[in-house]
Amino acid sequence: MSDSGLKLPAVLDLNAAAPLRSDLLALRGGPVEIDASQVQRIGGLCLQVLMAAKATWANDGKPFEIVSTSAPFLESLKLFGLADPSLEPAQERAS
Amino acid sequence: MDPLAAIKVTFFQECEEQLAELESGLLVMQDGAHDDEMINALFRAVHSIKGGAGTFGLEALVRFAHVFETVLDEMRSGKLPVDGNVVAIMLRAADMLADHVRAARDDGTADEERSRAIAGELANLCGISADGPDEVVEEIEGLDFVPVAFAFDDTPPPAPEPEPEIAMPAAAAEPEGPPRETWTITFKPRAALYASGNETAFLLRELQRLGDMDVTVSAAALPLLQDLDPEEGYLVWTVSLVTAAEETAIREVFEFVDGDCDIEVKSARADASGALDVHALIAMATAAGAPAEAREPSPAPMPAAATAPEPDNSDLMEIIKFIDDAKAAVAAEEKGEIAPSLPAADMAAPAAKAAVGQSAAAAQGGAGGAPQAGQTIRVDLERVDRLIDLVGELVINQAMLAQRVAECGLARSSSVAIGLDDLEHLTREIQDSVMAIRAQPVKSVFQRMPRLVREVAAMVGKQVRLVTEGEGTEVDKTVIERLTDPITHMIRNAIDHGLEKTEDRVARGKPAEGTVRLAALHRSGRIVIEVSDDGAGINRERVKNSAISKGLIPANADLSDEEIDNLIFMPGFSTAATVSDISGRGVGMDVVKRSIQALGGRITIASEPGRGSTFTLSLPLTLAVLDGMVVSVCGQTLVAPLTGVVETLQPKASDVRSLGPNGTVIQIRETYLPLIDVGVQLGYRDTPLLPTSGVALLVEGEGGARAALLVDTIQGQRQVVIKSLEANYRKVPGIAGATILGDGRVALILDVDSVLSAKVTEPPRNQTLLAAAG
Amino acid sequence: MSKTVLTVDDSRTMRDMLMLALSDAGFRVVQAVDGVHGLEVLNGEPPDVIVTDINMPRLDGFGFIEAVRKDNRFRAVPILVLTTESDQAKKDRARQAGATGWIVKPFDATKLVAVIRRVAA
Repeated sequence: MSDSGLKLPAVLDLNAAAPLRSDLLALRGGPVEIDASQVQRIGGLCLQVLMAAKATWANDGKPFEIVSTSAPFLESLKLFGLADPSLEPAQERAS
Repeated sequence: MDPLAAIKVTFFQECEEQLAELESGLLVMQDGAHDDEMINALFRAVHSIKGGAGTFGLEALVRFAHVFETVLDEMRSGKLPVDGNVVAIMLRAADMLADHVRAARDDGTADEERSRAIAGELANLCGISADGPDEVVEEIEGLDFVPVAFAFDDTPPPAPEPEPEIAMPAAAAEPEGPPRETWTITFKPRAALYASGNETAFLLRELQRLGDMDVTVSAAALPLLQDLDPEEGYLVWTVSLVTAAEETAIREVFEFVDGDCDIEVKSARADASGALDVHALIAMATAAGAPAEAREPSPAPMPAAATAPEPDNSDLMEIIKFIDDAKAAVAAEEKGEIAPSLPAADMAAPAAKAAVGQSAAAAQGGAGGAPQAGQTIRVDLERVDRLIDLVGELVINQAMLAQRVAECGLARSSSVAIGLDDLEHLTREIQDSVMAIRAQPVKSVFQRMPRLVREVAAMVGKQVRLVTEGEGTEVDKTVIERLTDPITHMIRNAIDHGLEKTEDRVARGKPAEGTVRLAALHRSGRIVIEVSDDGAGINRERVKNSAISKGLIPANADLSDEEIDNLIFMPGFSTAATVSDISGRGVGMDVVKRSIQALGGRITIASEPGRGSTFTLSLPLTLAVLDGMVVSVCGQTLVAPLTGVVETLQPKASDVRSLGPNGTVIQIRETYLPLIDVGVQLGYRDTPLLPTSGVALLVEGEGGARAALLVDTIQGQRQVVIKSLEANYRKVPGIAGATILGDGRVALILDVDSVLSAKVTEPPRNQTLLAAAG
Repeated sequence: MSKTVLTVDDSRTMRDMLMLALSDAGFRVVQAVDGVHGLEVLNGEPPDVIVTDINMPRLDGFGFIEAVRKDNRFRAVPILVLTTESDQAKKDRARQAGATGWIVKPFDATKLVAVIRRVAA
């Protein structure tokens, strides 16, 4: 698990998007567990990276899971229209 | 003081600085030199005055500053060429702006007619088509007068109840709940939105404040991770918002990102396609089901206040309320947020202080840029004076300690004595440093003079050029404050009396434009101010005749040129046939001289026929300490200011002669001077001291009058801290003040001039005495 | 947690006004007197929000914003410019330089705080 885990930093803003993408790409090909327990805030760009990663892993047929979350992280997802850390857009779930 | 009132004080101080900068810049421009940075600086000065004035609701000032700023902006962009005419108008405008500032400060009104006329001239420069100045001004005023928000008005507030018209609809709506509407907002951020520091999360958060929100996000355009540009926007959000807010409030959320995202705002009502908006329905159902209290009440007043239409006439109470509201809003926000993970509140203050200190230090060490106001701190003058007082006490205390140690019979080489020497040295340094805090450049006084020169020159119809030098010369603040009047008067005098009429100058082959020079410099521990003109010089014949006709001197008086020149300092002297409007004003040079003397200064004249005159003021750098000669008279200790003491000598019986019943003179080289027994003069004794048993101090008063003061013994020289006798006791003739000596005793400080003037009355004494002594 | 606001303005009046309004609203306030000074202060104290004037000596608001954005550490920091209503051109230019938004002068405390809150994390 240690080699397939990724701990997200506290601030996931504009500056964090590119490194986050690189970090995730480096883990491509195996199962990934994301630790979001330290996240204080997450912006639109990092949300996109996580959602794209989720889709990419699904495409690869590998598990991609957010295993640990902080309260601010969950709050932010809700604000963005995502009900839970599965990162499934509500709209798509509903349909 | 109320914090806003304090800021207003700061504003007017800053205005003065900016006005001075504006004027000096324009004067440089008048000489034909200018560059972009200078024009920028002028623009900033006026812009900044306007900005502050707007904040305080000073409408007349804002209007005038705005027109001025517009012209400077034109000049800045190169549309308006800099020429003599333009600069001349701008100089007048700068004076007018100054009048507006002072009128606003003193709750008065500036000369509106003149203001309009000058604003009209300015407007014409901009090429704004002018039907008449008034219309032009109005036109420009209309451009951008923003309603005042931070104002504290001079007119009494209409009602203490703030913003009734804003509160009313909200209050009326409350029982029923405001008419809520459902809006659908679709937006897709682009890269530019994030690049500018905006954030989708914050936009959503702001929308959420407006009402009940349901958000969906579409990832349809989102590529796989390897194809994703991490800083591009792919997601599309659709927000269904049930709110009482207007569309403008919704649009306002997107104000900063307009153009950086695709956005669509639609009202469900307007969108009457009949299709069921599921999200809106869900939102409405949720809203209806929720208890009223749960609708967080705090966000509602916020947008209301933020979009409040013109809180005109807002008074202090209202401003305070604004700030309280803001506080409450922030508090409410913080409560609503995730609990802070750091005990920030109590760490914040010292940290902020540290940061400020750090930034100041950084600025100091910074890349040697232009001097900046930000590198200074403002300190209450009282605190500085308190510090100066304390240091004064320290000096006295140190002297007392030294004296006691000396009385113990310790050798000069003992470690205690050496330590005390070091302490004395240190104390002196502290004292100098503390005095330096109060020192300011004379610039603040000099800067007022160009306008004066323009005005006086216009009034007497002469062409005058003012040249200033040494503006950076520093002197104690108290001295600076009292320099303005004498300098003003001397400059008036130089233009009115010193400079010839233009035609006379031309006739004599001089340039038509007269020059008045104002200079400051430090010379042997004093500040010297020179006011000189290149006029005709003092007409000694006329001065002498005038003095004779006024009975100031005997008709047969034989005076040196210098003595004639000094006649103009005599009370009641005026050479002008009619007292002119300029130099007159009931003030003569004698008043100037007295006010300079009151500061411990002296004034002298040098004049050369046909070439001009120079008035020289010499003043102490500080009024708080003086170097003095400590003497004994009848067992009393007195201090004579060292600046007045020319030399000391032991009178020989052969040099002293009696003159009349009580008069005594002493021969010093070729001159006979009155010998004044200080003990008798101050009433310590009736019988004069035998001159040969005392010591004579040869002193020179202001204006060069000399005498020898007879004292018992000289104790030494030292720096003393001046304590005002007037403030602590009452004015005593012959005494300038008091000080406390090392042994703790109070010593009086001699007022050399008043001792002299009590004895030396008739001016041409020396010659007479010399003649008598033959 | 109280947020730190860096204000950059050459006018003492405006600095005092910003200090009063912001500190009363619970912000930590750090101040600089022009763009150059602002960049120096920035390095010692990374703020949550920057409020800057446009017309300043040494380095004006546009130059300041550009310099801030060039520094990777401060790419995401919201920057608000102080401007007057009529300055659409200035708003556009500020936006081009990388400003996040603007505050229209004269401002009141409520408006100021509301705008800062709008762009701050």
